[in-house]
Formats: sequence, structure tokens, C-alpha cells
Amino acid sequence: MNSGIDLQASFIESLKTFGVPGGAAKALWIPFPMFLMIIGATVGVLVTVWLERKIAAAVQQRVGPEYAGPLGVLQPVTDGIKLVFKEDITPAKSDTLLFTLGPILVVVPVFLSYLIVPFGQNLIITDLGMGIFVWIALSSITPIGLLMAGYASNNKYSLIGGLRAAAQSISYEIPLALSVLAVVMMSNSLSTIDIVEQQAGYGILGWNVWRQPVGFLIFWLAALAECERLPFDLPEAEEELVAGYQTEYSGMKFALFYLSSYVNLVLSALLFAVLYLGGWEFPIPLSQMADWFGVSPNNPWLQVLTASLGITMTLLKAYFLVFIAILLRWTVPRVRIDQLLDLGWKFLLPVSLVNLLLTAGLKLAFPFAFGG
Amino acid sequence: MLKILKQVGDYAKTSWQSAKYIGQGLSVTFDHLRRRPVTIQYPYEKLIPSERYRGRIHFEFDKCISCEVCVRVCPINLPVVDWEFEQVGKKKQKKLKHYSIDFGVCIFCGNCVEYCPTNCISMTEDYELASFDRHQLNYDNIAMGRVPYKVTQDPMVTPLRELAYLPEGVTDPHDLPAGSQRAGRHPQDILEELQDQQDQEDQENNQKQQASKN
Repeated sequence: MNSGIDLQASFIESLKTFGVPGGAAKALWIPFPMFLMIIGATVGVLVTVWLERKIAAAVQQRVGPEYAGPLGVLQPVTDGIKLVFKEDITPAKSDTLLFTLGPILVVVPVFLSYLIVPFGQNLIITDLGMGIFVWIALSSITPIGLLMAGYASNNKYSLIGGLRAAAQSISYEIPLALSVLAVVMMSNSLSTIDIVEQQAGYGILGWNVWRQPVGFLIFWLAALAECERLPFDLPEAEEELVAGYQTEYSGMKFALFYLSSYVNLVLSALLFAVLYLGGWEFPIPLSQMADWFGVSPNNPWLQVLTASLGITMTLLKAYFLVFIAILLRWTVPRVRIDQLLDLGWKFLLPVSLVNLLLTAGLKLAFPFAFGG
Repeated sequence: MLKILKQVGDYAKTSWQSAKYIGQGLSVTFDHLRRRPVTIQYPYEKLIPSERYRGRIHFEFDKCISCEVCVRVCPINLPVVDWEFEQVGKKKQKKLKHYSIDFGVCIFCGNCVEYCPTNCISMTEDYELASFDRHQLNYDNIAMGRVPYKVTQDPMVTPLRELAYLPEGVTDPHDLPAGSQRAGRHPQDILEELQDQQDQEDQENNQKQQASKN
């Protein structure tokens, strides 16, 4: 199969023609995708915030943001600018170092996880051999930051919020990892590229949703809990805990929390798309379509089309999931902390274990369908 | 063994049911997505206040006889009536100097309007009393003498009818067809009907009287 556009290779090749050594050319290339990803993630957050406000308004039969830009699309930007210029308050009796370190520790791993999100065969920052595992490992750093923020605030609500965040993240990480493991077992690789490759070839029929009907539900529930989205937003439950671990934060530090929660949501949606919805794959396999029309797979415009369609498909799938998450937010009431832990330990964990064993059994029984 | 099976079955059933209920809830919220916003876009659209709306109080200085009934019926004796005696020929009479009500304190109960013997106090449909300082809400007789601008006559504002003034079955005041009437019978119709009944009764009474005379 043709691997499509490889911008990195062509960039290095073109630099080499100017006499730049290969290593230096690679070093020159590295900042571009990183910068692009940070910008992309931030813009993605702005879009998500706008979508959240607009969809929330539509569900409640309101209009939502309307006057900042066409249809209020600039509202999140104005919110962000406001937060940047707001006074940065550190409470008098708080632990200043931990108070500052908390939001940083929350935001950095989330952005780092974008390393492994693929938008095409070569449209990825690094194709790590243990890709999806990096995400799971990085996402367990976040609760440390939250706990730090909650503890350093020297406020009972913050402390309870931080502890809840830690408890929730730890208990939902296990079913999340187990459901991811089932997918990994089918694709024989932890690399996100390989996981998508394994789903390719049969269009929409080859996607993992059909092979992991239980797994994707568990993954989505656990991912919502990891993102602290509404049915599981106990750490910041405003009716009980004011704003949880964010209570004492304002200005840029609060903005970091806010940013990381939305980046995390988009990231989870993207990874859901990668793991279960065939990543950048079109519902009808594109290479076959090209075959039908007699277009060579090395055709440059076909490659550009495939790459742009890949990015569009990934984003479309991810934002469909973001839409579901937002709709769910206005549909389901918040669960109690004991219900949350019950669901995590007594339901999701055994079910995801059974799912993993079942996948292993099916893989042995039907190696052709479950990636032997 | 059977007991365990039953437990598993029950558990599966409740899980399935809760999943079903979440699905139903999602379909409800999804259905709401396509409905029109019912909110009034305030500075550009305004509701037309109903006839008996109890807004800011209007005061007619010349009608007031400084009897202070409004002060006595007010739950917190709010109106300030500043008057003095004045000699007019042989008669000594009250002359009103100032009159004021603090709308930051007033609860708009309308008792003063109800009891004023000369009807010099009345309720307007003005509810836009925002100010930068609460002391600006202390209206004197000149401020209270102003009549608010009607929502229906403001070219900057789209007037919208309140829920009770919409046709039957309509809940959205936007884009009503012209000439649409509100649900139920109108007061003038009821009055007309009552008048007709009264006339008929009078006629019957007249006939009876005439019959008894004859």
C-alpha cells in the first residue's frame, strides 16, 4: 500500500540538495509539527468551547453567544483574552510553589499526548512504538497536578475536589487501559498508526466499533470520567464544592485548567476515533475507489486529496464524539461519588476484563477477523 | 446456582434499563436542538407588559391633596410627603412641596395606588430602573411625573407578546401572523355579553311591571 504524503522526508530531501547534513535537516524539521500541533490543539479547544456554548444554548432553547464575531465564534477568544489579562491571585496561606506547579503539571501531559495522534499515514509528530501506552501513562500524571492544586490552595473545597479528582482518575484509568488493551491485542501493536492500519481495507465495516461493541462503550465512559465531563464532573461539582480544585485559581492559572480540560476532551475524542472509528479512514476505502476510477496511487493530487480527506475525517469523527459528550452533559445528571466508584470498580472493571478475555478467545478462534 | 443466575439476570436487566433511559434522555435533548429559541433578545426585543403590570409608580403633582393615605397604607411607610399649611383667604390648607418614593426600597405592591383618594398615583409599565447608584432610585415628584416610553412605539425594539396574549397552542411570540388574536374571550366581549343580558333582564322586568300594572 502506498504511504501517501511524507512531508518530513521531502523536507529533509530538499534541504539535503542545499548541502545541509541529514541530521541537521531533521532537527530543522522538528519544530514545525510541534508548533502546528500546539496551535491546532488550542484552536480545537476554541472550537470546542464555542460548540459547547452553542449546543448548550440550542438544547435549552436559547441563542447562545451571538455578537462576538459571526454567530459568536470569537466568544472563546474574548474569554481567553480576558483570562490572560486578569489578575493572578495566589491565596495568602497557600503553598506558592505547589499552587503554581499544579496547573503546569495538568496542562503539559495533555499537550504532550498530542505526539501520538495521527491524522494520516505520515501526518503524526512521532510514530512511537508504544504510542497508545504513552497516552495512558501521561494521563496518570494529570491527577497528581490536580491533587497538588487542591492541596496547595489551602481550602477545604479545593482539597476535596483534588482528592476526588485523584480517586476518579485512578479508578477509571484501569477500565480505560483494559479496553485499549483489547484493541491493542487485535492490532498486535501499541502504535496508533498500526491500530488504524489494521482497521483499514474494508471501509466502515472494518472499524473496531463492530469488533469491540462493549469495549468502545467502556472506553467512552472511562474517557468522560478522565476528562471530568458532566456525568462524572464530581471534582468540580459546583453545587457541592464551589469549583473543586479550581476554587482559588484565577487568571492565567485558571485558564490553564480550563484549557487542559477541553484539550483533554478533544484528545479523548481523537483517540476514540483512532481506536474505534478507523482514524483517518474514509467510510469507503479510498484506495479501492481510486482503483475503480483507474487513478494511480502515486498520483500527486490523489495523495493531496487523501491527506486532506484524512485530516477532515479524523476531525469530523472527533467532533462528532465531542458533540455526543456535550449532548450527554445536558442529558444526564451528575452521579454521586459512591455511585461513581461503584460504576468504575464493580461494573466497568469486570466488564472490561471479560471483554479483554473474550477478545483474546475470539482472536484464537477467528484469527482472520480479530487480527491473528 | 439458580440464585446466582437470577442475580446476574437482574443485574443485566437493570444495566440495560439504565442504558435505555439514558438513550431516551439523549433523544429528548437531541429533539430540543432543532427547536427555535424562546428567549427574548432583550435590548432588541421586549415583552409588552400586561395591562395590570405593576411597574414604576407615576405621580401627578397637581392632583395630590397631601392626605398621606399612601404613607399609611404602605407596608413600610415609604412615600415622603413634604407639605406645609398655607393661608388662602380665611381657609388654612395643605400645600404640597415635594413628593418622593425610593424605588430601591419599594416592593411595588400597589397599595398606595389602590387607596389614593384622588387617583394621583398610578402604576406604569416601566421596569427598567437600573442605575449606577442606589440613591438614584429615590425618585422625586418630577422623576415620577415622567411617563415611560411605550415598547410598541419604540422603533429600535421589536415588541413581543406575553405568553397569555398568544393565540391558542402558540408558545413562541416571534413571527406571529398579523391580526392573530389571543386565546380565550376578551374583556370587551364579556362586557358586551353582560350588557346584552342586562338589557334582556331589564326588558323582562319592564314587561312584568307593565303586566302587573295592567
